[in-house]
Amino acid sequence: MTAHPALNGWIRHFLLTIHLNFSNSQAIVYGYLVPIIFLLAFGSVFRADSPPLLAQMGQIVTITILGGACFGLPTALVAEREQGIWRRYRLLPVPIPWLVFSAMLARVLIVASSILVQIALARAIFGTPFPSHPGAAMVAFLFVTAAFLGIGLLIAALADSVPAVQALGQCIFLPMIMIGGVGVPLAVLPAWAQRFAGFMPGRYAVEVLQPCFNGPHGIHGAGFRLGALAVIGMAAGVSGTKLFRWEAGRRKGSARWWVAAALTSWVTVGAIAWATGRLRPVSPEAAAWTSITETQIAEIGFDNLPADDGIAAALAPPTLDSARSMEFARKLAAWPQGKLDEAGQSVRNLVSLAAVADLCTDPRESEIGRLVFRQISSRFEPAVARRALAWIILNPEDGQVVTKVPELGLFRHPPERLVRQRSVIYAEKYLGRLAGKIPE
Amino acid sequence: MDDKASRSSAAAVSVAGLSKRYGVTEAVSGVSFEVGAGQIFGLLGPNGAGKTTTLECILGLRQPDSGSIQVDGSDLRTHATRAKLLVGAQLQSATLQDKITPRQALELFGSFYPQPFAGDELLERFDLEDKADAPFAALSGGQRQRLFLALALINRPTLLVLDEPTAGLDPQARRTLRALIGDMRTEGRTVLLSTHDLEEAAQLCDQVAIMDRGRMIAIAPPSELIARAKSPTRVIVRTAPPLTSTMVDSLPHVLGAVCADCGWILDTPAPNRLLAELVRRADQVGAELIDVQLRRPSLEDVFIELTGHSWSGERERRRAS
Repeated sequence: MTAHPALNGWIRHFLLTIHLNFSNSQAIVYGYLVPIIFLLAFGSVFRADSPPLLAQMGQIVTITILGGACFGLPTALVAEREQGIWRRYRLLPVPIPWLVFSAMLARVLIVASSILVQIALARAIFGTPFPSHPGAAMVAFLFVTAAFLGIGLLIAALADSVPAVQALGQCIFLPMIMIGGVGVPLAVLPAWAQRFAGFMPGRYAVEVLQPCFNGPHGIHGAGFRLGALAVIGMAAGVSGTKLFRWEAGRRKGSARWWVAAALTSWVTVGAIAWATGRLRPVSPEAAAWTSITETQIAEIGFDNLPADDGIAAALAPPTLDSARSMEFARKLAAWPQGKLDEAGQSVRNLVSLAAVADLCTDPRESEIGRLVFRQISSRFEPAVARRALAWIILNPEDGQVVTKVPELGLFRHPPERLVRQRSVIYAEKYLGRLAGKIPE
Repeated sequence: MDDKASRSSAAAVSVAGLSKRYGVTEAVSGVSFEVGAGQIFGLLGPNGAGKTTTLECILGLRQPDSGSIQVDGSDLRTHATRAKLLVGAQLQSATLQDKITPRQALELFGSFYPQPFAGDELLERFDLEDKADAPFAALSGGQRQRLFLALALINRPTLLVLDEPTAGLDPQARRTLRALIGDMRTEGRTVLLSTHDLEEAAQLCDQVAIMDRGRMIAIAPPSELIARAKSPTRVIVRTAPPLTSTMVDSLPHVLGAVCADCGWILDTPAPNRLLAELVRRADQVGAELIDVQLRRPSLEDVFIELTGHSWSGERERRRAS
């Protein structure tokens, strides 16, 4: 025995809490399997990004922390309270808050291990790079986890049973996932939802974690967000501690006031963010094609392209003027996918249309190739068209491609991978012509 | 066990004027008693009598509305931590994590105290060695109660507080647990237990306090309480052929007689003289004695005399309410 039995007991309680967590199959499912499922779900959507999934790691990690803190911690605490375990702990010669803190610290390690598993799997499965600022990532993780654990403690104090934990947890979890900038990116949310997200800690959590993965400065300049998390976590933690119940029974009469105090911190943080102009609507990230430079375009070579009258990437001569082609040209001019607000994506859609026709060995494949080129040349500024085509060549996995165009009479459905490959060849043929490097 | 709790003449627990209300319900009302060091002291009463609330106040789990509690001479309000070091407890409505093993539980709870018993020592003493590494959920009711008793003992307490320690156990497990509790007294520890089992109280306790509806009705050794009873001794006798009612009516020292399937049930203030007369009369008529039983007044009779209602009737009343 050590000279400090209380400390000795605290350490043993901490270690046993971790050990019992790993002995519990339900805790493993919710603590590890569900976060992996979230990772795979995100990966299936964002695997084509470059680099894959890196821009979503802040969201993924936030979801894991949110789950561990708002469900894992209160479920464990309330289950033990229902079993009378905290009654038994109350007989020990140590203050109960010590043991609550021990349980919370154990949860920090459990959540951290789950996140490490996610990062490792993201790397192994999708090739996602590790965080560019690991030290800052640890600091951000501690702030986010502390804030959410405070909320988890409050849920544990309020919930009368484990099912009540699930209900209360969902009240926090779902809004943050759907309109809090955690599950659905802020940029795709309507303006009102983006402002609303400023009143929830999930937005700040993502905003401090994400730059640690792909930002240039990590958490540098994230002082307000870290402060917001600290205030929200502190308010919830103090309220949770004041309302903590070591045995099943009625909540304290002051519960509503402490809950109000915790929620006031959310409102206060959101109001300050609003007043200081931090809740300006976030626009979708500028498409990568706009960052293509003339130097990059100049470095693109046009050697070894297949012949225009060959099998792959056939292209009719510029003199094309048949009635059939005129009919298709009219339809093409009205095709919505070629007239998006986003010029880069419109060009990519048009090029992929040529690729689909070619891959389907449509009788009009070379004509469609030529008509698509005419459409690009006539609809877009030469500089825009050049950059968009260079983007397709340099970043074949970016953006979306069309693979099925029945509205234009193309009924076959070639694989996306082939469409992207063939799009690169067409883009090179078009860009070479626009740049005057391929003679007609 | 090499540990021998020190005996002293001072009271191990002293409760004075303890009251506790839950809303409009007065769970405990002005309860006072002292538990001498080294005694087994039983709080006896039907469910809802206030036993558990009294014990929880002594353990510091409940804040009394009024009254004082001293444990080993220290006021609980000012020396709560010291009291926690001196007291071991087994609670009625508290379990453990499903996956925790007896060994882990003993190591965990022992680690908070300065000089705990070794876990292995208690596992051996409480016959839990085979289950030392089994999850708590896999233990039987008797094994769980033995583990709780071991946990209560882990800090070498001078006072053990046991809330209904044998409730819900089968007869064999109950016997085993009673023997283990008896050993605590042999070691010099003070045991304060609650029970609604009259037989258990009579067997185990040096002193019994009868509680009813939050109030203390009587405190005395069980034998003294029984001796105080005004109820007559009951003699149950069966003969072949059965005694006639004329013969029974003529017996001396009989306060009341009822003929039942088991034979004649005779209430008497002088059982010795009645039995002698019974044997003589049976010889006279050639009746053979098949069964003779003597039933002294029990704690239940004492309870009925003191409260005016029956033990089971009180249980039913509370269940109905």
